[in-house]
Amino acid sequence: MTFQDLILKLSSFWASHGCLLQQPLDLEVGAGTSHPETLFRVLGPKPWSVAYVQPSRRPDDGRFGQNPNRLFKHHQYQVILKPSPDEVQQLYLESLEACGINPRVHDIRFEEDNWESPTLGAWGIGWQVMLDGMEITQFTYFQQVGGMDLAPISCEITYGLERIAMFLQRCDNVFDLEWGGGVKYAEVRLQEEIEQSKYAFGQVEGLPPAEFAQWHRELFDRNFSLGEKLLASNLILPALEQCLKCSHLFNILDSSGSIGVTERTAYILRVRQLAIRVARAHVEAENLDTGQGA
Amino acid sequence: MDRELLIEIGCEEIPASWLPGLTAQIAKHVDARLKEARLTSDAPAEAYSTPRRLTTRVIRVAERQTDLEDLVTGPPVSAAYMPGGEPTPAAVGFAKKYGVEVSALERSDTPKGQYLAYRLRQRGKATVDVLADVMAGVLRDMSFPKQMRWDAYLEDGKGDLLFGRPIRWLLLLYGGRVVPFVIRRTELAQGPTVQDIRSGPNTYGHRFQTTSGRAGRAIKVKTFDDYQTRLLENFVILNRTEREQKIRRELETHARRLSGRVSASIAAQSALLQEVPDLVEYPSVVAGHIPIEFLSLPEEVLTTTMIHHQHYFPVVDDEGKLKPAFLAVINMEAEKPEIIARNSERVLTARLRDARFFWEEDRKTRLESRVERLSTILFHKKLGSYREKVDRISTLAEWIAGDALRTPDAAPMAAQAARLAKADLATDMVRELTELQGTMGGIYAREEKLPESVWKAIYYHYLPIGVEAEAPPSRQQLGSAAVTWTAVSLADKLDSVVGMFAAGERPTGSRDPLGLRRQAQGIVKILADLPELTGLDVRLKLGSLLERAAQPFGADADGMSAVGSFMADRLTYLLEQRGFDVRSVRAVLHADIVETSPLEARRKLEALSQMAGSPSLLGVATLLKRVKNISKGVAAPASNPNGMLTEPAEKALVAALATSAPAIRAAAERNDYREAFASVAALQPTVAKFFDDVLVMAEDERLRAARVGLVATMRDLILEIADISEIVAE
Repeated sequence: MTFQDLILKLSSFWASHGCLLQQPLDLEVGAGTSHPETLFRVLGPKPWSVAYVQPSRRPDDGRFGQNPNRLFKHHQYQVILKPSPDEVQQLYLESLEACGINPRVHDIRFEEDNWESPTLGAWGIGWQVMLDGMEITQFTYFQQVGGMDLAPISCEITYGLERIAMFLQRCDNVFDLEWGGGVKYAEVRLQEEIEQSKYAFGQVEGLPPAEFAQWHRELFDRNFSLGEKLLASNLILPALEQCLKCSHLFNILDSSGSIGVTERTAYILRVRQLAIRVARAHVEAENLDTGQGA
Repeated sequence: MDRELLIEIGCEEIPASWLPGLTAQIAKHVDARLKEARLTSDAPAEAYSTPRRLTTRVIRVAERQTDLEDLVTGPPVSAAYMPGGEPTPAAVGFAKKYGVEVSALERSDTPKGQYLAYRLRQRGKATVDVLADVMAGVLRDMSFPKQMRWDAYLEDGKGDLLFGRPIRWLLLLYGGRVVPFVIRRTELAQGPTVQDIRSGPNTYGHRFQTTSGRAGRAIKVKTFDDYQTRLLENFVILNRTEREQKIRRELETHARRLSGRVSASIAAQSALLQEVPDLVEYPSVVAGHIPIEFLSLPEEVLTTTMIHHQHYFPVVDDEGKLKPAFLAVINMEAEKPEIIARNSERVLTARLRDARFFWEEDRKTRLESRVERLSTILFHKKLGSYREKVDRISTLAEWIAGDALRTPDAAPMAAQAARLAKADLATDMVRELTELQGTMGGIYAREEKLPESVWKAIYYHYLPIGVEAEAPPSRQQLGSAAVTWTAVSLADKLDSVVGMFAAGERPTGSRDPLGLRRQAQGIVKILADLPELTGLDVRLKLGSLLERAAQPFGADADGMSAVGSFMADRLTYLLEQRGFDVRSVRAVLHADIVETSPLEARRKLEALSQMAGSPSLLGVATLLKRVKNISKGVAAPASNPNGMLTEPAEKALVAALATSAPAIRAAAERNDYREAFASVAALQPTVAKFFDDVLVMAEDERLRAARVGLVATMRDLILEIADISEIVAE
């Protein structure tokens, strides 16, 4: 099964189970959770089921295209089910079958792995799903987002698309994957991996480390201030976007070794505070009762 | 007739590490709730668990509650009757409340006088009618390391039902019949896909495997035996011990086929064998191969990758060398195990390829040049980065080796090892395989050709973990690094404990996220076993070490006394864990903890346990109690006013103390505490005679002072060794 066929299979499976098919967030984020289709939709009482691909950037994981398993940018298939159906694990297993993974032939396990995002003031309880010893999915029952208790509880299913595709194609190097129509993953993405890795690790000509750091600090501050201004005029979604940009800039500062310890903690705290304010503003704007009287 | 109670709480996968605790809990809670509900059973609840179920059964539970009988007291008899013998309104009212005549009431004698009383008899209800409350109570009683909300509540008026993982079914049978019970779902969540959980007669087998029908379907059962049999048919081994035995058996068989074995030490140390039975419902083992090229990686890297990251068992040959193979425990009876084996090999190979990349990259940079990078890794927000920590522990380790242990030759190497001890935190290997911190630093130091006294000090510096005497590392493992390791390991732990206390991070109750208890135990363990670990017979006192470690933090007196009592607790724990008698431990730890040497305490206890039951020592101990009372607050005189003490028993005691004192002190000085305690015991007849013949509290003030002074002298002499009055049973 090609990489794009896998996406098609998952999409048609989840669409047939009542999910809206959304599109990726057109911003640099580290995971599908940052998408407002997750971050905002899990707040409040309104039922919502949605699925989408989210290209996810992890500057620290950049390997210049040389590591067969690690990428600056990978793809997540994100499913949100709210409220979480009783049969959710069964549904998930059926989705694997739909992709050609027969659970009677393989060892599939749900092993404890709770999820937490300090920058989003969010945490959940769940598992990593192991397929013959390989982690292919993160499965989480959200408990809090933006520091607020959730009711009802949403279930987040995050498939690692490259991993599953490599499993299905019996492929040991992500760049050898067939994306579709005989085109290899390397053809589509290798150059991007090389360039983005160089950037993430601060290898920019004419921009020595100190200047690289300064540049990104300023970008962070400008995005942060803009976010606050947007929030003040109740432009919540645009404010979230600035907050996410800050989060990514922080990741770049971190991967390029531009910040020390104390500074690092301070940056995380700033992003977290803005994210929490944004989430609360969203709840207030929607006049949603989250059970905490927010 | 008594009937069987069977409960199975069907859950989504419960974390493996919780299962042993939850299994114990459910049995305990069921017993307690049955008792509270006045339901008698002739045997305690049995409990079982798999990742997807918590099961308990009570073989026989009575069919009815025991009847309740209670004597309810009303008004005092004195206020119950009028002079003519007619009942007062109070008495009538009381009787009416229970629907009887006053004449039907009993009289109850109480310390406050005689009262009218009504004997309330309540016939027990049928068990089936009470079990729902028992079930609700048990669900509420369960506690989890981390609990979740899942839109569920009970109708007991207590609101949300939090649990470890969502409950998906509830098997609740009494005498083979379903006891109605319901776990409700909140209004916000309820709908076509989210429904109440109603108790039923059904269980569910393995998710994917069955011998007949469709896997995962409901299986109706009546009794526990039936339940257990049907589960087995459906690929669930309910009994954990049976799962573990199956795993052990298959591991052995597969290892033999590979002409190797599962390393006993690996199996024991990793706790892997403890964990896997709780990860599976129907275990079996598959064998996979590791491409031979990866065997050039350090063994620690291979085993950590296998054990910690993949839950795979390494296989070793007869000499204990790793073979290019691993064993994986899977949760099924695989039709084609080779497919799972191949896939597992691919996952492991990918990880090992990463590890090899790190191994090659990391060695391009010397540890020394990573020390600067530690300034970007936070140790604690109030205590700064690891860069600052290694500066502190380097100074401290140098002082411990040079001054405290009096081995100045080792001091520079101890300082160097401490300085490099945390450098591996900045390597890719440790960022990926955090379990290898310390170990990896040691290996990289060895690769850099640093002396053994440096690399092994780094390699083992997170140890010891346990408090038992044989907890690793052994002196043999340490080789020429015994002293430098002692200095670095102590310095690191002292810095953490004292620093964290200074930063206000004190462990409370079950909360000890920074593992300070274990670190403090490491400190006292090293000090108590110093001769065995290093060959150095140095009685290090905790006070001097703590004080030195506290210098960079400017800890105040209050803080230091908190650290002191924390260390005292850990030392007590260590000594009790080693099997020493609780009272004896108190006896040898009576002095201020800062003045205490763990080694000395240990030796005294060894001597005391050899003398256990010595009647003369016990005799002195008993008398010491009296002595301490009499001489409370009295300081021993510089010399005894012999002129005052003329009675033979007095003179005998003066003489005995004069000869014993140097003997006791000399014995203690040469660590012969048996001799020291024997000398104390030898005082027994003299002391006993003194108290028989002499009245310490004499009328004459000067005589009394002289006698109390003599007693105080004896007290102080014995307390130099131990407060043996503690060994007397109350």
